[in-house]
Amino acid sequence: MNNILEEFTPLFEPKTVAVIGASAKGGALPNHFIRRIREFGYTGAIYPIHPSAPEIDGLTAYKTLADTPLPVDYAYIAVAGGQIPAMLEAVGHKKPGHVRFAQVISSGFGEVDEGKDLQAQLVTAARAGGMRLIGPNCLGIFTPRGGVTFAEVRPQQVGSVGIVSQSGGLGTDIIRRGLARGIQFSGLITVGNCADVAPTELIEYYFADPQTKVVGMYIESAKDGRRLFEMLRAAKAKKPVVILKGGRTKQGLAAAASHTGSLAGDDRVWVALSRQTGCVLVDTLDQFIDTLLIFQSLAPKAGAPTQHVTLFGNGGGTSVLATDCYARLGLDVTPFDAVTIEPLAALKLPPGTSITNPVDCPVGTLQQEEGRVAEKILDIIYSSGKLDALVMHLNLSAFVGRTKPEVLDNLMAATLRVQQKYPGRAHFLLVLRSDGEPVLEERKRAFREKAVALGVPVYDEMANAGYALAAMQWHERFVGSRANT
Amino acid sequence: MNAQELIAGARAQQRAALDEPSGKSLLASYGIAVPASRVVKNASEVDAVFSGVKPPVVVKIMSPDILHKSDAGGVKVGLKSAAEVKDAINTMAAAPAIKGARIDGYLIEEMAPSGQEMVIGGVRDAQFGPLVMVGLGGIFVEVLADVSFRICPITRIDAQEMLADLKGAAILDGARGRTAVSREAIIDVLLKVGGEDGLLMRYANDIAEADINPLIVSATGAVAVDARFILSAEHE
Repeated sequence: MNNILEEFTPLFEPKTVAVIGASAKGGALPNHFIRRIREFGYTGAIYPIHPSAPEIDGLTAYKTLADTPLPVDYAYIAVAGGQIPAMLEAVGHKKPGHVRFAQVISSGFGEVDEGKDLQAQLVTAARAGGMRLIGPNCLGIFTPRGGVTFAEVRPQQVGSVGIVSQSGGLGTDIIRRGLARGIQFSGLITVGNCADVAPTELIEYYFADPQTKVVGMYIESAKDGRRLFEMLRAAKAKKPVVILKGGRTKQGLAAAASHTGSLAGDDRVWVALSRQTGCVLVDTLDQFIDTLLIFQSLAPKAGAPTQHVTLFGNGGGTSVLATDCYARLGLDVTPFDAVTIEPLAALKLPPGTSITNPVDCPVGTLQQEEGRVAEKILDIIYSSGKLDALVMHLNLSAFVGRTKPEVLDNLMAATLRVQQKYPGRAHFLLVLRSDGEPVLEERKRAFREKAVALGVPVYDEMANAGYALAAMQWHERFVGSRANT
Repeated sequence: MNAQELIAGARAQQRAALDEPSGKSLLASYGIAVPASRVVKNASEVDAVFSGVKPPVVVKIMSPDILHKSDAGGVKVGLKSAAEVKDAINTMAAAPAIKGARIDGYLIEEMAPSGQEMVIGGVRDAQFGPLVMVGLGGIFVEVLADVSFRICPITRIDAQEMLADLKGAAILDGARGRTAVSREAIIDVLLKVGGEDGLLMRYANDIAEADINPLIVSATGAVAVDARFILSAEHE
C-alpha cells in the first residue's frame, strides 16, 4: 500500500511544477495558474515552458520540458491539444522519467469522436516517457499539502476529505462550497477523460493516505467498473466513500433479449455497487457536500448504527416536518422515556415547551438564563436519553428583535460546551436556519466556523442533516454487517 | 455434455442462444434442479419416451426462431397421456406462428409442483462485468420491475440482502395466508448462478444475458422451469 503513497506523492506534494501554455504577455489560463500558486503559498520551483520567451511572469522560462534544471514532479499543460503528444514524446525520449505527472488541461481528446486517436497518441507518448498522465480535459489539482491550486482559492490546512472529480467545473464547486461549509480537503484531483490515471488509483491513494478520512468521487462513466468494484469491495468501507454519479439512467440494454437485460440500467449497477461495497450514493452536489461533512466531523460507529435521533430546537412545525422526513430516511425520532422526561419537567420550562422528543423550545424558553438553559437540557438528554444522534436546530430569524444578541452567543457556547462533556455519546449535528438576511447570514457564518472547528457539522436545514445522518447509518450498517466476514 | 460443450455446441451451430434443454442441462450441471424431461422430433416419437416422465407433463416447442413460446402457441400444460401429448404436438406444428419456423423438436417435461414464481437472471455489463438479478415472478417483474441486482460474484450476505431489497419480499414469508417458501433455496440458486464459482462468473465471456423464468420455489426447494441463455457475440 505504501507504494501507492510514494507513487502519487509527486502529484500531491510537487517539489517542481512546470507550466506549459503561459503567455509572455500574461492573461492566459496558465498565467493565472502561476499567479495562484505563487500567491497561495506554493514554495517549490516553478518552470514556465515557452519556445521563445526568456521569462514569464518574472520567472525564468525554459524552451522545453527537458530543459528544466530539476526533474518535473507535476506539469500543468494547457496548449492546443494537437501539439501535446509530440511534446511528451520529445521529453520522454530525451530524458525518460524526467516528468512524473503530466496533467493535460486541454480538451479535444477522447470526449469527442475526432479526438479519440489523439488521446491514444497522448497515452502512448506518456507511457513511453515514463510519466503518468492526468486528464486530458480537466482543470487541475487542489492539494493543500503541496500548496497547489487550480481554483481561485487558497489551500488552507491539510484536511481529511479526499476528492476525485471527473468534472473540472464541478470540482471547483466542490472546493468553494465545501470550504464555505467547513470542509477541509486532503486533496482534489480533476481527472477528466481518465486516459491513464484512473479514479480507482486515486481512491487507493486516499485509502492509504493517513490524512484522508473520507473519500468523495464525482464520476460520469466508469471505464473500468470491474476494477472499481473489486477495489472497493476488498476495502470493506474501511474509509467511507461518497459517490456522486452523473448519468444514472434507468434505461436497460437497448436491444435486450431477456427480462433481465431490459431491466439492467446503469442506475441498478450503481445501486448494486453501493449495496456490496458500502459506498454512499448521493444524487446532488448538496447531498455530496452534506455527506462529506458528516464523515469529516464524526466517527462512524459500526457497532451501533445510527437509529434513534433526538431533535432539539425552536420551531414546532420544523420539528414535525423533520420527524416525518427522518422516518422516511429510516431514522427514528422516538419519544423519551420517563427517565428523561421527569428531569426535563423539573426544569419547569415555560408553557409551550415540549419535552418529549422532539424537544421543541420556543425562543422564550431558549433565552432563559441568557441562553444557558440549553446546557441543562442537553445535559439531561445526554445523561439519560436513548439516542444515537442529536440534531439541534436554531431558527436564527426567530430570535431577531426578541433577545439580546448575546443570548444566541451564550446558547451556542453552552451547546458546544456540552459536546466536550459527552465525547462520543451521540452524533451531534447543528442546523442553523436563517432567511438570507445579511446580518443573520453573517452570524450564521461565524457560528458555523466555531462549531466546525470543534468537530460539529453544521447544516442549513433539517432535511440536509437527515440525509447526512442516513448516509452515516448506511455506512455504519454496512461495516457492522461485514464485520465478521 | 458438460457446460463447456453445451456452449461450444451452440456456437458451432451459430446459435445466438442455448435451446431450452441445453440451458437446463447447464443449470443441472451447476446443481440447480430442473424438471425431468424428454425431447422428441415429432409426435411419432412420443410413445417411445413417454414412460420416462411422470404425468402430468407440459409440451414446449423448441425453435431458435421463436422467442416467446407461449405467445406463439408453443406451450401446452397439464397433459396426462401420450395421446394428449401427440395431439398437442400436432396442433402446435400447425399453429400459424410456428408453421414457418425452424423446429428443433418438442420438449416433454414434468410439471413442477406449485409454489412462488421467481425470476433469476444475469446480464453482462460493459463496465462492471456479469450482474445477477432476482425478482418475484409475473407482474412483480413485468409490471412493477421489483427486482434487485448485484455485481458478480455475490456472497451469501449479498444474496440475502437481494431478497430483502425486494418490495414484495414479505410474500416469500407467506403473506396473505400463503405458505412461506424457502429463502435458502433461492439463495442457493443465486449463489450457483452469481456466486464466486457460479456459472455467470465461469462463463462471463459467453453469456450475454440469462433468464431463469420462472424458478418455482416451494417450502423446501426450487426448480428452474424455464431457462434462456443468450450468448455473447464471439470475440466481443
